[in-house]
Amino acid sequence: MKHVRLLVLTEDLPQASLALADMESFHPDTRPPAESRLDGLPAREYREVFTQASARLEKIAKLIPNEETPYIEEVRVVDFAELQGLNDWLGKVWNETSSYEEDLRRLEDEERLVKEQQAALANFADLNIDLGMLHSKMRFLDFYVGLVPRENLRQLQGAVGLADHILHVYMQEGENAHVVIVGPTGSKEAQLSAVLDAAGFQNLPIPQGLDRNPAELGRDLDAQRLAIAAQRKTLQETLKRWSEPFEGPLLEARRTLMLAEPLVGLDPSIRSAGYLAYLAGWVPARSVERLGARLRESLNHPFQMTVRNPAAEERALVPTVPAESWVLTPFAMLVRQYGVPEYGEVDPTPLFAVTFILMFGSMFGDIGQGAVIALAAWLLRRKLGRFWPFGLMAGLSSMVFGVLFGSLFGVEHLLPALWMSPLSDPLLMMRIALGWGVVFLTLACLLGIYNRLVIRNWSGAVFGHHGIINLIFYLALITGGFNIANAGAFGAVPAGLVIATLAALAWHSWRRQQAPAGEKVLVVVIETLETLIGYVSNTLSFLRVAAFSLNHVALSIAIFTLADMMGAFGHVVTVILGNLFVIVLEGGIVMIQVMRLQYFEGFSRYFSGNGHEFAPLRYRRG
Amino acid sequence: MTLAAEHAYLNTRVSVMATRLLEPTAIGPLSRLPLSDLAERFRLSAILDEQHSARARSRAVEQSLIQVLLAELLILVRPMHTAERRLVLDWGGKYALFNLKTLIRGKLHNLDQKEIRDNLFELPEQMRLSEQVSADLFRAENVLELLRQLEAGAHRTIARQAREIYEQQREPFELEAAIDQRYYAGLIRQAMAFTDHHLDPLKRLIGAELDRINLLWLLRFRFSYMLSPSETFYHLVPSMRLLTRDRLLQLVNLESFQGVIDALPPPLDQLLADSRNIVDVQKRIGRYAAGEAYRVLHRTQSAVARALAYLILRERDLLFLFALAQGQILNLPAAAIEIAVELAEPGCHWAGTQAA
Repeated sequence: MKHVRLLVLTEDLPQASLALADMESFHPDTRPPAESRLDGLPAREYREVFTQASARLEKIAKLIPNEETPYIEEVRVVDFAELQGLNDWLGKVWNETSSYEEDLRRLEDEERLVKEQQAALANFADLNIDLGMLHSKMRFLDFYVGLVPRENLRQLQGAVGLADHILHVYMQEGENAHVVIVGPTGSKEAQLSAVLDAAGFQNLPIPQGLDRNPAELGRDLDAQRLAIAAQRKTLQETLKRWSEPFEGPLLEARRTLMLAEPLVGLDPSIRSAGYLAYLAGWVPARSVERLGARLRESLNHPFQMTVRNPAAEERALVPTVPAESWVLTPFAMLVRQYGVPEYGEVDPTPLFAVTFILMFGSMFGDIGQGAVIALAAWLLRRKLGRFWPFGLMAGLSSMVFGVLFGSLFGVEHLLPALWMSPLSDPLLMMRIALGWGVVFLTLACLLGIYNRLVIRNWSGAVFGHHGIINLIFYLALITGGFNIANAGAFGAVPAGLVIATLAALAWHSWRRQQAPAGEKVLVVVIETLETLIGYVSNTLSFLRVAAFSLNHVALSIAIFTLADMMGAFGHVVTVILGNLFVIVLEGGIVMIQVMRLQYFEGFSRYFSGNGHEFAPLRYRRG
Repeated sequence: MTLAAEHAYLNTRVSVMATRLLEPTAIGPLSRLPLSDLAERFRLSAILDEQHSARARSRAVEQSLIQVLLAELLILVRPMHTAERRLVLDWGGKYALFNLKTLIRGKLHNLDQKEIRDNLFELPEQMRLSEQVSADLFRAENVLELLRQLEAGAHRTIARQAREIYEQQREPFELEAAIDQRYYAGLIRQAMAFTDHHLDPLKRLIGAELDRINLLWLLRFRFSYMLSPSETFYHLVPSMRLLTRDRLLQLVNLESFQGVIDALPPPLDQLLADSRNIVDVQKRIGRYAAGEAYRVLHRTQSAVARALAYLILRERDLLFLFALAQGQILNLPAAAIEIAVELAEPGCHWAGTQAA
């Protein structure tokens, strides 16, 4: 990765941004330049106008749908004047469009009110009074019938009481309560009106002829709803007719905004002083030359391009280019759950992929169940997107180990095992799992040491967590353990190495601490103990690889024992359901266990995950 | 688990933080400090940036102080359980509501987006209106559009009534009053949902705060805005301590400032006797509410109530500091600054005599 610094004329910025976006190899560096005079923000106004224009287009698109990413036939520069003009035009279109939106919403409100009236009518049907009298105000009685949000009800009750009225709730539906407010006419009517406004009271018009047959009234209200639906349809047709001439220009507006996007994306990294503009970014080394050629070809005026290697202190800022192989992509997605590799750090994805597949297969070895997983991944490849190869490979790995173990849907006598069934020699399985753990941890430590050496962290590589001293200690400990198992004694050389490495670690820990002697002793003892226990427990952690391969066989035996207790049909059903149970539940658990081994025993040793992904400037091409 | 053990960490945190609270006697010396010393002592570098206007500097100081408060709030909510955390975060949610009001006012007065944005508080992620909501609200091109956007979210009921009122009256008072009312009603609801040892201290703390708010709103709405008793009552949020629903129904019906003061329940009647105007009442009842918060902070076992009490007191201190800094930035006379930080009694010139 190279750091590229560009000095161009301000008027060339839109052209430069398009060229950079077209190359898709420029990751903007948003740090301000060292030169204090370059403090202008020439693209800021451009971005503000772009944001407003985009927002307007999105709002218009809700009523006049248009393609989200239309194809761009001709790549051209969108200057500020054009963008400003487009924004003004979109503002005018939105003003007109919003009036249609308001009308549609008004119809929505009217429809809601008619629905409430229908509900109220059903409620009034049980009242034994002449509601027709409510049409006209009476000399001594002031009344309101309407809706109020339920949460305002209690407070409103108190407030109308103060205005000498009473409030009666005759129905509650959804968020609203239907109320009747009655009181004497007089000076407090005006007071009440303000309270009702504040409480969101909605007057419910009493239908004309309320003393008529309720069925007739119901028909009237239905007719009103039909009329509203007809109005809505007419309005939508009018809107469609009105919007037809705008469809083409709006599509063109979308293209213009897509072409303006690169400069907006560059805004945080652009600074200027008068006519001179500065921008900087990260470019993969292989693309630098092509980028320079493209800029020379595109820009009308001279420019200066300075290329340099990232400085040591810039490591954290340099983006990392992700793996692009379709096989590795799903594994890279899982690695990203932990973090993105820092620039220069070994990308753990290939190692992760290989070890993941190996461990999953060995813990879940079965030809039939593996085939089901692989087939399911293949059939669901559209839904799984870029993740489907993961399922396919996990299934295939399971099948390969199934051939080694001679297991087909849990049946172990149909196919001869190429190697052996795990349950036939559990101790061997345990030994292999432990051996695998030692290899895995050693590999992880070596990668961790390499990653530190790359950034010249010598002390970290030698004395740090899982550094060289730790690795020597671990290998000596393992050798000693191996000697005890085979010869009954730890051995002088491993013992010497264990003591020497622990002493070196203790000395290092003592030196870097700034605390009273007692505290230092305590920390050194605890750290040394932690190193010892940590490596032993981490190695034993890999026993789960063998444990799950044994568990898999044991579960199959359990299923067949249950199946054998059934009749012929029950046998088949139990075997099918049992296999499904094993695939879903055990498959899921094995997946989690492998992830745990990878993240905790592997990544925590060698992978910082502190990097950030290479996100080049680009425009949507449609 | 004992009460002390349940929230040992939080209690310790609150006790440590409580040492940052200003003693009542500390305000006087602070008010005499020059601006540079104030900036250095409270890390308010924005005060000294001469390149910006007085308004921008004042705004930056306010923003810094709010960030101090909210950063402490986030530290305190970390060890809390869900309901406790929700209560304290919702208390701090008032700053998100300030932003909402700023957006409404900005759209109402047709301010440009930059000006509106400059007046919004930067808030921690947990306390913001959701990203989508704030983006949609910000993009709205007029108040009606903004209210329509609000109708699509959590504030839909108040937004609908506010839109209907706005279409008739073109002013945001009802909407802002409804937002405030719902904020306090939500706090009460959450506090009353506690059933354990947190309930009584929370009732005491939030009740005292509501008594303060209710009395000020009552006096302001009735005697400054001249609203009717029923409209005034509608906008209040009955407290669970002194100014309960029945008491408020009685008080709003009184026709004079003095009548209300005389009819207040003890101990407010003694505390506020002889108050001459709303500024006077505000000062005295503010001290009363702060006193209640001190009691909750130092004499209760509920770590949540203690944390909330600390935040209320800390907010009060930071507002004093803001008043000191702003007074100096705007070159206000020392007398005016002393009134703002309650070191001096307001004379008639500063007293809001209309209210009285």
